[in-house]
Amino acid sequence: MRNVYLIFRRDYLGYVRAWGFWLSLAAVPLFMIIGGTFAIFAAKSSPVRYYAVVEPASVYADAIEGEFALDDADASQQARDLAANMDLSPEQHAALQSGNAAPPRKFIRVPAPARSIDDLRPYLMGERLVSGPLGDKPLFAVFIPSTDGKDLEYWSDDVNVGALRATAANAMRRLARQQALSEAGLGADFLDRVDANALQVSAHRIRTVADQTTAGSEVTMADRAPVFVAGGLAYFLWLMIFSIIQYLLMGTIEERSNKIFDTLLTSVKLTELLAGKLLAVFAVTSTMMVSWGLFAFGASLFATSQIPGGASLLSPFLAAFANPSIIIPGLISFLLGYVMYGMIFMALGSLCDTIQEAQTLLSPMMILLMLPMFAIFIAFQDPGSPIIDIASWIPVFTPFLLILRMPHDPPLWEIVAQMLIMALTALAILWLATKVYRAGAVHGAGIGDLGGVFKRMFSRKAG
Amino acid sequence: MRMPPLVMTHATKRFGAFTAVSDLSLEVPEGEIIGFLGPNGAGKSTSLRMALGVMQPDSGSVSLFGKPPEIATLKRVGFLPEERGLYKKMTPRSSIEHFARLKGLSAQVARARANDLLDTAGLGEFKATRISKLSKGMAQKVQILSTLAHQPDFLILDEPFSGLDPVNQQVLEDLIRAEHARGATILFSTHVMEHAERLCDRIVMMARGRKVFDGTLDEAFGSLGRGARISVAEGFDLTTALEPKGFEAHRAPEKGPGEAWRIALPRGTDAQDALRAAIDAGAPIVSFAPEEARLRDVFVSLVGEADAAALTESETGEAA
Repeated sequence: MRNVYLIFRRDYLGYVRAWGFWLSLAAVPLFMIIGGTFAIFAAKSSPVRYYAVVEPASVYADAIEGEFALDDADASQQARDLAANMDLSPEQHAALQSGNAAPPRKFIRVPAPARSIDDLRPYLMGERLVSGPLGDKPLFAVFIPSTDGKDLEYWSDDVNVGALRATAANAMRRLARQQALSEAGLGADFLDRVDANALQVSAHRIRTVADQTTAGSEVTMADRAPVFVAGGLAYFLWLMIFSIIQYLLMGTIEERSNKIFDTLLTSVKLTELLAGKLLAVFAVTSTMMVSWGLFAFGASLFATSQIPGGASLLSPFLAAFANPSIIIPGLISFLLGYVMYGMIFMALGSLCDTIQEAQTLLSPMMILLMLPMFAIFIAFQDPGSPIIDIASWIPVFTPFLLILRMPHDPPLWEIVAQMLIMALTALAILWLATKVYRAGAVHGAGIGDLGGVFKRMFSRKAG
Repeated sequence: MRMPPLVMTHATKRFGAFTAVSDLSLEVPEGEIIGFLGPNGAGKSTSLRMALGVMQPDSGSVSLFGKPPEIATLKRVGFLPEERGLYKKMTPRSSIEHFARLKGLSAQVARARANDLLDTAGLGEFKATRISKLSKGMAQKVQILSTLAHQPDFLILDEPFSGLDPVNQQVLEDLIRAEHARGATILFSTHVMEHAERLCDRIVMMARGRKVFDGTLDEAFGSLGRGARISVAEGFDLTTALEPKGFEAHRAPEKGPGEAWRIALPRGTDAQDALRAAIDAGAPIVSFAPEEARLRDVFVSLVGEADAAALTESETGEAA
C-alpha cells in the first residue's frame, strides 16, 4: 500500500501543481459566477421601454395591455405554485396569494405623440422624447393599423427585440376570437369558461397503502428528486471518465517517452504502479468535481437563503442523495465504471510514444464514450424503455444505466446480477489492460504494431 | 552463508526468432566490481533486465540475494537503466527523494539524502530547478544519484558512462569506487573497454547473446598471450606474409599511419622475432611496438574480427 500511496502522491501532486489544473478548477465557478451575474444583470438592467398605439379608439391598445395582464397573472400563478413547495409562513403565503408576484413590466404604453409614421419618426429614432410614468424617453415602438385594416404595423428602430411584437400578435389573435364569439352570440369569456370546466388531469404516485396513508399520493418534488439525483450522478460519472482520458493518456505517454518504466518496475509492482496512477487521476478529477459541486451547492444554499422558505426546495434533493438504496449502488457502479474505463485508457496510453499517436486514439474513445451518453439521455427520458433494460446488461453501459434505474426500484436480483457482471468485466479488463500495459511499457510494443502487442501480451513469459 | 547478489543460471531470452541472450550463466560475488562488456546488441541490457525481474527468462533462472527477483529483494538494488528517464517536471531533490522513498526510505531520510547527494555532486544550487531545465549531463547525474540514494547493497548500472563528457565520466568512476568502498557490489555494462580496465575486479564479455569470457582482468590478459603491433603500408597482407614464419597476424582497430596488425607471439619467441620475420617477408613497415595488452584485444581474440567490428561501431557511435 505504501508504494501505491507514493505513486499516487507523485502523480497527484504532479497534476495539481500544473497551472492547467488550477485554471480548470477556477474556470467552472468563474463561468458560473460570470454567467449568473450576467443573467441577473441582463434581467435587472433590461430597460423599461415606451410604446404607443395609433388608433381612434383604444381597441388594440386595450387588447395589448390585456395580454400583458394575462402574462403577469400566469407568472404570478407559477410563483405561487413554486411557493406551495416551500416552507413559508402563513403571512408570506397570504401576501403571495394577494399580491402580484410577476416581474416588473418592461413595456409601458404612452399616448402617441403624433398620428403618422413620418411625424413619429423623430420619436422612434431618439431625436425627440416622449413623456411617460418614468420620465422622458425615446419611443421604442409604435403600432399603426394599415390603411386596408388587415394589418397592425409594428414600427421600431430595434426590430431584434421581439417580445412586444409577440405579445401584440397574441393580443390580436385573442381579440379576433372574442369578436368572432361575440358575433356568434357568445360571451367574450366563453372559451375561458369552457377551459375552466374541462377535467383536470392530476398526477398521483402509487404507493403502498401504509405509505399512502402517511405521505399521500400527491406528486411532489420528493418524488422527482431521486431521478434528478441519479441523472446527475450518471452524468457526473460520464463527465469524470470523459475528463480523465487526457490525464491517463498523457501521463502514461510521458512515462513511456521518458523511459522511466524500468526504474519504476524495479521499485514497485506493476499492479501497484497501475493502482497508484488510477487513484491519482481519480483524485485529481474528484478534486475538481467535488470543488465544483461544493461551489454549486454553496451557491444554491446562498440563492435559496435569499428566498423566504427557499431552503425547502433543496431538501428533497439532499434526501434523495442520502438515500442508501440509490447512493450505495450508485457509488459501486461509479467506482467499477471508473476502473473499467480508466484501465482501458491507461493501457492504450502505454502503447503510444507521442501525443500524435494518442490523438489517433481519441476519436474511437470519444465514440465509445458517446454511446453511454446517448443511453443516459434515453434512460433519463424513459427509464422503463426495453432498450434501456437490454443495454443495462451490457457492461459498457451498466455503470450509467444502473445508477439511472435505481430510483425506479428495479428487481433486486437484477441489481445484484448487473453488479456482478460489471465486477467480473472490471476484473477481466484489469487483467487484460495489465497485459497490454506490460506489453507497451516493458516490451516497448506500440499502437502501430497490434500483432506485436498481442504476441507480447500472451507470450508464455510475458510476466 | 551470505548469498551472492546475483546468480543467473542458463538464462535464455528470445524475441520471436531472435535469441537476445543464450544460456547465460553468471555469478556476481559480494563486494566485487564486475564489468559486463560487449558491443551494442550483445544482449547486455536484456540480461540485466532479466536479472532485475523486469523480464522473465524463457528458460533458466535468476536469483537476487538467493531469491527470485521481487520488489522486496530489489529494495537492496540500485538500477540505472540504459535509457535514462526522469519526470521532467520534477525537481532533482523531489525526484531523488521519490525514488529513494520507493526503495523504502522514510520521507525525512530520503530528503536529507537527496540534499547531501546533490550538494556533494555539485548540483546544490539546482535542487529546486525543474529537471526539464537542466542540461542532459546534469539530468543524468540526477538519475545516477537517484540510483544511489537508498545506499543499495548491489548496484546495477547499464551503460552508466554513456552520454557523459570525459570530466563527468571521471566523476562517475570516482563515484563507483566510492560506492564500492562503502561496501556495494557493482555490476555495470559498457561497450567502452577502458572503463572496465580501470574499474573492474572481474569482467564478463558478451557477443551475439552469448557469454564469451568470465574472469579476472589478469585471466583476460593471460588468455590473450603476448603480442606485438606492426603497422604496414596499406594493402599489404601481413597474415599471409607471416604465416610461413609461424606467426599469426590479425588486423587491429587502431588508426594511424598505415594499417595496424596484432601479431600473436608463439611460446619461445619475442617481439623482435616477429619484426625480423616481417622485414624478411618484405613488409613495408611503418611502425612497430611490443604489445601493451588491451581488453579490446582480448575481445577480438575471443570473438573474431567480425564481432570486434561491432564493438568498434559501438564506440564510434558513443563518441559521436
